[in-house]
Formats: sequence, C-alpha cells, structure tokens
Amino acid sequence: MNEPGPQPRRFATTKVEVEGRERTTIVELPSLALAPWDAAADLTVVGRSTPRVDALEKVSGHARFTVDLRRPGMLHAAILRAPVASGRVVRLDAAPAMALPGVRGTLTLRDVSGITVDGVQLFDQVIHYAGQPLLALCADSDDLARRALRAILLEVEPAEHAVTASQALADGAPRVHAAGNTSRNSPRVYTRGDVEAGLRGADVAITREYRTPVALHTALEPHGAVAEWSGDHVTVWESTQGIFNTRADLAAALRVPLSRIRVITDYMGGGFGAKNGASHATYIAALLASRLQRPVRCVLDREAEQTDAGNRPATIQRVTIGAMRDGTLVAIDLDATIALGIGGWQAGPARIYRELYRCPNVRTAETFVFTNMGAMASFRAPGHVEGAFGLESAMDAVARTLDLDPLEVRRRNYAERDQDKDRPYSAKNLDRCYAEGSERFGWHEKRTAKRVTGGRVRRGIGMASLTWGAGGGPPAYASVRLNADGSADVLTGTQDLGTGSRTVLAQIAAEQLGARIQEVRTILGDTERLPYAPNSWGSITTASVGPAVRVAAEEARRLLLDAAANFLDATPGDLSTRDGVVHLNGSDRTLTFREVCERLGNVMIMGHGSRGPNPDRVAMSAFGAQFAEVEVDIETGRVRVLQVVAAHDSGRIINPTLAESQLEGGIIQGLGYALFEERVVDERRGLALNPTMHDYKIPTIADVPKIDAFFVGGPDAAANHTGAKGLAEPPIIGIAAAVANAVTDALGVEVSQIPLTPWRLCALLHGSA
Amino acid sequence: MHLTINDGVYDVVVPGHERLSTTLRETLGLTGTKVACGRGECGACTVLLDGTPAYACMTLTAACRDRVITTIEGAGAARAGHALRDAFIAHDAVQCGFCTPGQIVAATALLTRNAHPTENDVVRAMSGNLCRCGTYPKIIRAVLAAAQQASDPGSV
Repeated sequence: MNEPGPQPRRFATTKVEVEGRERTTIVELPSLALAPWDAAADLTVVGRSTPRVDALEKVSGHARFTVDLRRPGMLHAAILRAPVASGRVVRLDAAPAMALPGVRGTLTLRDVSGITVDGVQLFDQVIHYAGQPLLALCADSDDLARRALRAILLEVEPAEHAVTASQALADGAPRVHAAGNTSRNSPRVYTRGDVEAGLRGADVAITREYRTPVALHTALEPHGAVAEWSGDHVTVWESTQGIFNTRADLAAALRVPLSRIRVITDYMGGGFGAKNGASHATYIAALLASRLQRPVRCVLDREAEQTDAGNRPATIQRVTIGAMRDGTLVAIDLDATIALGIGGWQAGPARIYRELYRCPNVRTAETFVFTNMGAMASFRAPGHVEGAFGLESAMDAVARTLDLDPLEVRRRNYAERDQDKDRPYSAKNLDRCYAEGSERFGWHEKRTAKRVTGGRVRRGIGMASLTWGAGGGPPAYASVRLNADGSADVLTGTQDLGTGSRTVLAQIAAEQLGARIQEVRTILGDTERLPYAPNSWGSITTASVGPAVRVAAEEARRLLLDAAANFLDATPGDLSTRDGVVHLNGSDRTLTFREVCERLGNVMIMGHGSRGPNPDRVAMSAFGAQFAEVEVDIETGRVRVLQVVAAHDSGRIINPTLAESQLEGGIIQGLGYALFEERVVDERRGLALNPTMHDYKIPTIADVPKIDAFFVGGPDAAANHTGAKGLAEPPIIGIAAAVANAVTDALGVEVSQIPLTPWRLCALLHGSA
Repeated sequence: MHLTINDGVYDVVVPGHERLSTTLRETLGLTGTKVACGRGECGACTVLLDGTPAYACMTLTAACRDRVITTIEGAGAARAGHALRDAFIAHDAVQCGFCTPGQIVAATALLTRNAHPTENDVVRAMSGNLCRCGTYPKIIRAVLAAAQQASDPGSV
C-alpha cells in the first residue's frame, strides 16, 4: 500500500505584536486557494437582489423565535430585581412564594456562586444597580411566576448611589466599586506626534464640549433562553448573536465540558450588539432546569430589557482641533468621559478621532467611569457612533471658523493610510462617497442657494463622514452538502439577526457551485450540528463566513464534477456547472445535479471550507459619507429630517436590496439617536424614568424621511477572495452628526448635545425655562 | 368559553384577568402574535377584533366572547392579506421578522378599510407598529404595492 506523499501543511504559527508584546498565533490555510472575485468576475447569483430566503416564514407568523418555544412540561422563570441603585439585601425570604400553588423552585446566591455577568456576581446580595437580579423562581406559567415574585419578602437597606458620571466623579462620591469609580487604566491615553506643537503652529484652534446620551438597544425580542437537560447534556435555545460564545460562557459557569452543551438560535428578533454571550436568563434557565429536571424558560420583560440588558454609554467629549487656514488639520485633542454603568467593556469614542482624518498630531484620553446603573453592552458601532458625533461636529466648527465648505474640509484631510496602526488600506473609496453622495444630495446647490432668513421654519444641511473596521477574519467554517435530490445545503454555525446572512451565504454557495439559488438552503444556528462560526458582531459575518462557504462550495463542485465525469465518460476538466446543470464543454451533453445525485444514491458529495488568514498589515475598513437636510420649527423646537443621502463603501455587495435594508435600518437608528432617544435618570432616586417603549422613543414609521442609501466602490479583492466587507454597523455612525450639523446650519446656533429634543432646542434658542 | 379565531372556534377555559396574547400564545400555540412590551406600546401583538386592529396584550380574553379574532396565522386568507404577504417578501419589508406579524395584521385592516391608501394613510395606519430594525421605508412600499395588487381586478 502506498504511503501518501507529503501533504501541504494546513497550520502554521506566526508572531503577532499585540500592544508591544509578541504573541504566537496559529494561522490556518484553507484546503483550496481560490482566485478572488475581483471587479472582472462574471457573477450571476452574487450581486443579485434575491428575495430573502426566510421571508415567507416571517410573514406567515410561522418563524419560531426563542420566546415562542414551548417544550413539554416547561416551567417559566421570573427574576426578582433590586428596587434601589445601591445598598444591600437585609431580608430575602422566598418561602411565601414557594408556598403558592404552581411555584416549583427558586434559585439563590448559594446556587450560582462564582457565576458573574459583567463583573457582578449573579444574585449578589450587595446591590450595585437598580434592576440587579437578586433571586429567580419558576412556576407553571409566566403569570404565576410574576405573581409569586410579589409574595417574596424583600427588605433592602439603601446606600448612597452614583448613577451618572458627574455623580460618580464628584468629591465625596460613594464608591461604585471597591477599587474606585474609574477603571484602573483611566485615563486611557493614545498619542502620536506632538499635539502641543501642532496647536502652537495652528492658524486656528477650536475647543468644544459635546454630550451624548445613554441609548438602549430596544430590540423587539427581549433576551431569553429555554434550557432542557437530557442526562448530563443540556440544550439551550437562546436569542443570541453568538451561539458559540454562549456555549463557552455556559460551560465555564457550569463547569461542564463544551460538548455537553448545545446552543440553538434559529430566528432571533434583533440584537444590535446586546446579545453576544450567556446572559442572566441563560444561567437561570440552565440551572433551574437542571435542578427540577424540567425545561425552563426565562425571558426578560420589557422593563428588565430596558434596564438590565445593556446600553450605549453616555459620553462627554472635550475636543480641541487645530487647523491651518486651508483647513488641514494639525492637531486633534480629545478628553472623553464615558459612563459604563456597573461594568462592560471599554468601547470609547477615541478611536474614530485617530482613524478618520489625516493628522500627524493626535492625543486622546478616555476616562471610563463606573456608575450604579446596568452595564453597557456593544451597541451597533460601539464607540464610533458617540465619537463621530463629537468629531464631525467639531470638524464643522472648524469649517465655520475658516469659512470653508465642510465637505471640502473633509476632503482636504483625507487619510490615504490607516494612521492608527500605520498601514495601508486594502481599498478605500471614501472620496467616491463624498463625490457621489454630495452630488445625489445636491450639496453644492443647496449650499449656494439663497437662504430664507427669518420665519418660523428654518432649513439646514449637514454632513458627516465615517469609517469602521470591516474585514472580518478567521476562524470560520462551513460545509456544503448535496442532497440526493440535487439540492444543496450550506451548513455553518453562524447567525441571522435579520441581517440576511441566510440569503447571502446561499448566494455565495450557489455562485461557486453553479447551482440555482432556489436549490440552495442555509442551515445555521446550532453549536452541536454545525461547524464553528464567530459571533455575528463587528459586521464580520459576511466577510468571515462567506469565504469559508465559497471554499466549501468549490470542494463540493470539484467532487460533483469528478462524479459526473464518470457518468459522462469524460474527465472533470472537460466539465463545467451552470444553473444546477453539469455541462460537457463543447457538446450538448448535460446532466442535472439531480441526475448526478440520484445516480450516486447514498454516496455523498460534501465539501468543507475554512476562512483563510487576512492579508498582513493591511487595514480592511468600510467608509461612508452621509448628508442630511432638516427643517427646524424655532417656536416648538421640533426637528424634521427631510432627506438623508448616504453613500457607503463596503466592497462587493452580495445582495443589493438586503444591503440597502441594512443601510436604511442603521440610518433610522441613527435618527433615533440624533432626535429622540435617551435614557432619563432621576439622579436623586437613582432610577431610570423611561424603561418602556413609550417613553424611550425609538423612531416610528411616521419619523422616516426620504432616504437614498447606496454603495460605491466595487469589490475589495485584497480583503478576501469574495471581495465583500462588513456593512451592518457603518450606516448608524454619521447620522447624528449629519443631522446635528444640519440643525446648526438651520439655526445659526451650534448644537452640542443630542438627542435634539424639542425642549433642548427651545432651551438653546430661548434660554432654559 | 368559545373563541372565534381565524377560521375556527376554540373552546378555552381562561381566568378573567388573562390577556388575549397569553391565550393565543400559551394556550392555543398561536405564537405568530408576538409580545415585545406587554404594555400596549409597540404593536407587535396586533390582532384584529371584528376587523379592527387591537393590541392583544391589552385585551382581556374574556371580553372577546362575541368577537371574530384574526391573527397573523389567518391574515393570509383575506385577499388583502395575501397580497401583503407577497408584497412584504418582494419588497424586502422584513428583517428580523419579530414585528412583521403585527405590521401585516395592521396593514390588512387598512387595506380592507381603504383599498386605495395614500402614503400618508399608510404611515398613519401603521404608526402603532414599531420596528427597531428600521424596515419602515420598505414596509411603506410593500403596503402600497399590495394595495395596487389587491385592487387590481385582473390579479389572482
């Protein structure tokens, strides 16, 4: 028997520098190297607006979300939450609740020791924020569980709280964490060049302070999980953007091997960054289900969802920009305060200041403040949305000071390279965003048109540019399998949050296979049955999983041709595929995929693919330019956005209609952030005043302006072989700044705080009440 | 009590304080109607009572004894509902899909009441249905397209 010859290695190690230290990482090469789909590629499925493949389930009401799941014998959990922002539990007696008929079990601190979420021990009897879980119980129905909560005897001893950054930083402020009210690494400082020298040499310098609010994700489906044990193995259905992350969190918390946990997400009702791992509901459901040996469902009610399911942190940004008379930047100096809540990660506004414009002298300092409020969570382009408001408002202030066109000031500071990490971009078409966006908006016409001065309603225009890391990367895996009827399945453990990944990945597979899109199905969302794919965060899914799917489809295609060659009495090199048919080139002999698979019977055609490494030392980013026109009623302070034009650069667009829907959705979320959305907190009582969908105001259908959102630039073949980059987060980034700049333009008075609510504008125009 | 829902009659026993959303979802397994806020603030639970949109989370089941209830599961049966279903798919008026049942039920009521709505009519009629994914522009387009389709005498 012959020994196989030396096989090419699939794994190599490489040294990577991470924050000044060298780390060895493993690099995996895919089984096949594919020619990139560059601008010359002739694609027939990718690039088409195929209807969303799961639309029928959604419009018929048959799509099952986690909250819809009913398992036999299922119990419903409810969570008792702290009524004060700080203090401790003095008495907690669940016996009266347990005595009620239908109440089946409780979960207390003793049962969850060592399980923390955002640094807070689950069911800690020391209270760190209002809404903090103190105990959970479960009952035969949701109604019974909630009524049982009211029977629990709870006594708390309140303590002084600090629920805003200013409270937390004040002299004599109470300690939010034992170690203090700012993070250990605060201020987190970045410098390049010499800001002081830059300012000394500047023709003008402007200094401003900008404020952004706490914003709440407000996905329609709340956080929730259903857990069911079978022996020592648990299945958890979870509304999540990251099934593998959720599994890892749960395995660590329960001290159970990964292989004993299965996490499933089929349909999920929105995440926007808040659902990236196990949540309180996950642990509560899993532990109660284990104790009672019955399935347990734990779903947050809306008040809990708006209080303790993550938020975009509030910021205060003190910005100084130095520029020359021609508008070129010579210094950017940012000092920012970010209110994280009780914990979360350090998403700050500074990064976009460092990346977006060419400027040799930059200093950013971020102070992360802890407060007695729910922990922050990533929210669509975390940090960049907040930072873009400050930076882009300041850029407009520079333009006004110099009496220059704000768009021209952006152009004059075009960054050809990623200066944050000093490396080239794989592709950058921000200049085309400026050109095509401004043209479709009529920027120059509107700027030079005669302004109507006076009158109750004033019009204004504004713009903002943006960038966002969008390259994705390994690891990510997929299989493509042909079924006995010739149809194909794409198998990958990724997620579809409404982003359309089911459709987009099927298109990529169909393109590479030469199959009809109607014959290709994507199966996702199951850690046990499907290969690893990363969380659907950071706009990485298409750019990470897409290439893996393409490799898997190519492997399957080669196997298909190999098999078909036998039936057509040819060699595989003589064959090609198109529209679900195998062709013998130069003849009219064909076999459909179905015919080949039927002849194969139970012999399988299956390809596997992985995501290869990213190009070295190259920045793969998305860019955009957003333009807004507004009308402001100076008596009522109401802002009406008349139109938004948004030009975006995200490489190859797999499905134009679905991509446009992402742009529109992000723009509308940006409008909410600009005009309506803020968590309002009663500083004295330490409680949020608007944890509802009525009082925390997300945009309604009546708030939508005319939106013209489109893509420029074409495929980025240097980023990965599909040419596609992420596009889901960029569209929210510049909107608040574009709208605020337009309002400033309309009023002739600078706005520096969002949301631009009527009362805020009235106070600005007429003085505070 | 008997409940008339979509095409059928259901025999249920419900406590006096039970909401229609609970009966539909928990007792009858009709989970197409979603609960996102439970306070009548978002419209995800929109159903029709005798053809008029209502929030199921703010409706007592006991008050529905003599009403005809239409949920998303039955909305496709009507000509307008069928046209809406096709239009929502064709115009990509769905993203995550959680608000979609409520949107379609509300739109069904609109088109049944007003076969030739203007864009303003659509916006007003749908303003009680929130969508966080921001699908609104395509929802408006889909409803207007469905109105065209449903009122076209030559269409299926």
